Amino acid sequence: MNLDDALQTFVIEGRELLQNMEESLLGIERGETDDDAINAIFRAAHTIKGSAGLFGLDFVVEFTHIAESVLDKVRAKELAMDGDMVALMLSVCDHLGCLIEHVAKAEGMSEATSQMSRELGERLSVYLGGKREDKAKETKSKTSMTVDHDARLEVEGGGEVETDNWHISLRFGRDVMRNGMDPLAFIRYLATLGRIVNIVTLTDAVPPLSAIDPESCHLGFEIAFESDVDKATIEGVFEFVREDSLIRILPPRSKIFEYLELINDLKDENLRLGDILVSCGTLTETELANALRIQTGSGNALHPIGEVLVEQGMVEAPVVEAALEKQKQIKENKGSEINLIRVDSEKLDQLINLVGELIISGASISLIAQRAGMPDLGEAAATMSRMVEEVRDAALSLRMVQIGATFNRFQRVVRDVSRELGKDIRLEISGAETELDKTVVEKIGDPLTHLIRNSMDHGIEFADVRVARGKPAHGTLKLDAYHDSGSIVIEVSDDGGGLNKEKILAKAIKRGLVKPDQPITDKEIYNLIFEVGFSTVDEVSNLSGRGVGMDVVRRNIQVLRGTVEIESEPGKGVTMRIRLPLTLAIIDGFLVGVGGSAYVVPLDMVIECIELPPRSKEQGDNNYLNLRGEVLPYLRLRELFEIEGQVGRRENVVVVQYGGHKAGLVVDSLTGEFQTVIKPLGKVFGGACGLGGFTIMGSGEVALILDVPRLMQQVTSREVSVAGQ
Amino acid sequence: MTHETKTDARIFELSIEGELTISRVAELKEIILPVIANNKDIEIDLSHVTEIDGAGVLLMISTKLEARQYEKMLRFVGHSGQITEAVDFCDLSTFFGDPIVISSQSA
Amino acid sequence: MAKTILVVDDSASLRQVVSIALKSAGYDVIEACDGRDALTKLNGQKIHLIISDVNMPNMDGITFVAEAKKLPNYKFTPVIMLTTEAGEAKKQAGQAAGAKAWVVKPFQPAQMLAAVSKLVLP
Repeated sequence: MNLDDALQTFVIEGRELLQNMEESLLGIERGETDDDAINAIFRAAHTIKGSAGLFGLDFVVEFTHIAESVLDKVRAKELAMDGDMVALMLSVCDHLGCLIEHVAKAEGMSEATSQMSRELGERLSVYLGGKREDKAKETKSKTSMTVDHDARLEVEGGGEVETDNWHISLRFGRDVMRNGMDPLAFIRYLATLGRIVNIVTLTDAVPPLSAIDPESCHLGFEIAFESDVDKATIEGVFEFVREDSLIRILPPRSKIFEYLELINDLKDENLRLGDILVSCGTLTETELANALRIQTGSGNALHPIGEVLVEQGMVEAPVVEAALEKQKQIKENKGSEINLIRVDSEKLDQLINLVGELIISGASISLIAQRAGMPDLGEAAATMSRMVEEVRDAALSLRMVQIGATFNRFQRVVRDVSRELGKDIRLEISGAETELDKTVVEKIGDPLTHLIRNSMDHGIEFADVRVARGKPAHGTLKLDAYHDSGSIVIEVSDDGGGLNKEKILAKAIKRGLVKPDQPITDKEIYNLIFEVGFSTVDEVSNLSGRGVGMDVVRRNIQVLRGTVEIESEPGKGVTMRIRLPLTLAIIDGFLVGVGGSAYVVPLDMVIECIELPPRSKEQGDNNYLNLRGEVLPYLRLRELFEIEGQVGRRENVVVVQYGGHKAGLVVDSLTGEFQTVIKPLGKVFGGACGLGGFTIMGSGEVALILDVPRLMQQVTSREVSVAGQ
Repeated sequence: MTHETKTDARIFELSIEGELTISRVAELKEIILPVIANNKDIEIDLSHVTEIDGAGVLLMISTKLEARQYEKMLRFVGHSGQITEAVDFCDLSTFFGDPIVISSQSA
Repeated sequence: MAKTILVVDDSASLRQVVSIALKSAGYDVIEACDGRDALTKLNGQKIHLIISDVNMPNMDGITFVAEAKKLPNYKFTPVIMLTTEAGEAKKQAGQAAGAKAWVVKPFQPAQMLAAVSKLVLP
């Protein structure tokens, strides 16, 4: 692992945090105000800032810092999370996303982005009382220790001592060791910054064993230290103990007066500190004598100044209790979050691939057992197959993710689009916990966006129309997901005006998609809107574009081996139903043979199998056959794939259905159902039309998987050209 | 993490094993105190000490002071490398007055 | 023998960077993603230092430190807490739980290394 990997993690993490932030903000906008959501928003900013700092991404830190400061005030209830604040924070969220994308692309800020940083920064600063306080600086100055007498000493005078060493007096607080901090560790660290010339451990102050609590720190040191570092650095060494310890640091060539003050400060300890300073080499005998003379002269004017200790008095018990109480609440609220492990999706793919291989070898064993006529082996193989199937299901479930995150993203889309349109539309989500394949989830976003925008734009009426029709003024859009017999159904429904059947039909006739006298069901009419270039709206709106929407939606869904259908009730609304396979990696297939080759048709598309009527073979029937009075176009796979060899005596037709169309595929033999692990075809076969992949059978032979939607397109386009003749 | 005691003529020997750190000083105090009370001449063997920190040094100091208070003979012997280093680091060898150099080969 | 440091933070990227810095300085590092995870990772083994964030899901840093300090093996384990300058109240609560050393986020890896060295040299 290196820093680049870590940066990659930062980008992924940042995106997730921002998504949570957005969801929480939208939740608040819907009125679901709770401290938890605000805390989540704060934490997103907080974590991004913290991590960005590590990578030295100052442009992220700087901007996030202002946002975090504002959010902290919101969290402390000093500022209200009102509509304006939510809107501002949504912009902040978007902008942070933009900054993180800059990081992802390893590029600096563009002019537009930095302009945005400034603008948002200014808007945020308004909430911080107009001034952008530099908290980092403030903290820094606070860290440096307060014992600083330089100003006063110039007035009070006294000669300099000769030593070039720092003098450090340490009296560790009683609880230092109990808090896990080792006094020696600090001094050892000090030693890395320079040279400890002399150290005196104050043994006189230590009680004998019977009188000591050995966990209480009674250690004190006087140290002569030679180093080029500055005072702040030396103070920094003891930053973790400065609050409960007495630490005095005198720079080289300090005034005698200062040493005197030191001696005076530590007088209570009943130590011969003067002598110790001499033995440390910090003071000479003469300097000490001088110092003591001054002390006697000035009497008791000097007070021990334990300024360091003053800070201890600032800790108030109620504050601590309140903070602890809050922490407890947060802990309880967060307890329900699911514990997750992040796994590289490539590893999962690899696992699924291996399971696929396992299924193939399992099938191979069954086959051998069958051929060899060994019932025992066959039984064992069957048991194993069952186990392997369970492993397969478990492995596939690893790829499954809940659709909730995808759904929630549409809260923002609905909010933005409804503002744009001037409609009041609410999004209701159900079935968020429904799981489906990660790849599907990733690819379903675009089609869903289209459907949702379409419903909002064309489906849901404006408020006045709605009220006139006796509906609530606000429109409702519903997103639902559920499992239904081996597939996933995603529904987008609105309570708008429904589709205009007559208008669609008229347009379809005008476009030549249907014949004027053609018998057609309502459902077929509605589904016409998914045809290429179909749009019923005369004026083109910004949102749904120029009628290039719905056919693209259908194609995208078909790529996922899914279907889309539409239901409409005039005046009540439209439901669009997307049906998707549970997984993309393994399908139940139907194995057929043409010549010496094996092909797999996805089983869920197969309706029935019939024998090709003999006369179809002899007569040129234009590749149509009569299926119980229905005209069924068919394709000869032998011709399509240019397979050599004699046509068998009997030919079979596999009737497949896809996207509301039926077609026949003419093959030589029907082998039966076969569980198929889809393996992608290499680039070489990229141009091979009508093939979706391949699989390896138990016998070790390769079978090609037919891309039925693509084949269907060929059939229908031929149909249209025939119809046009 | 154990310590054993054995008597050899008039010298009482106590061996400390494992860590001589904050996590054990309270326990060790209870072991050492009666030893000082009941014996005149004591040797504490540190050759099996694996780690020492400030609390350990503090314990050594207060142990030595306790013995001095009752005019008992108490020597730390067999300093492990860690202990020699810590005692030197704090410049305490004069205070302890123990024959560190002689027995430091156990480091 | 290398000293072992437990790094507890819900940000994976922060853990990675801190871990890289500490390992290159010669420490052993154990990572945990929140307080609850950290408690299970303690597992009785010798830990020379704990670095923990405050605001984390499942179990926050202050609760974690308080819980860890109840275990005999970690009663005296030094703790560095990570905080924002905005978290003064948190700091008070953390001190009560036994965390006296604080490092302010955001920090540079070198700053973290310096803070760690003050408590435990590699």
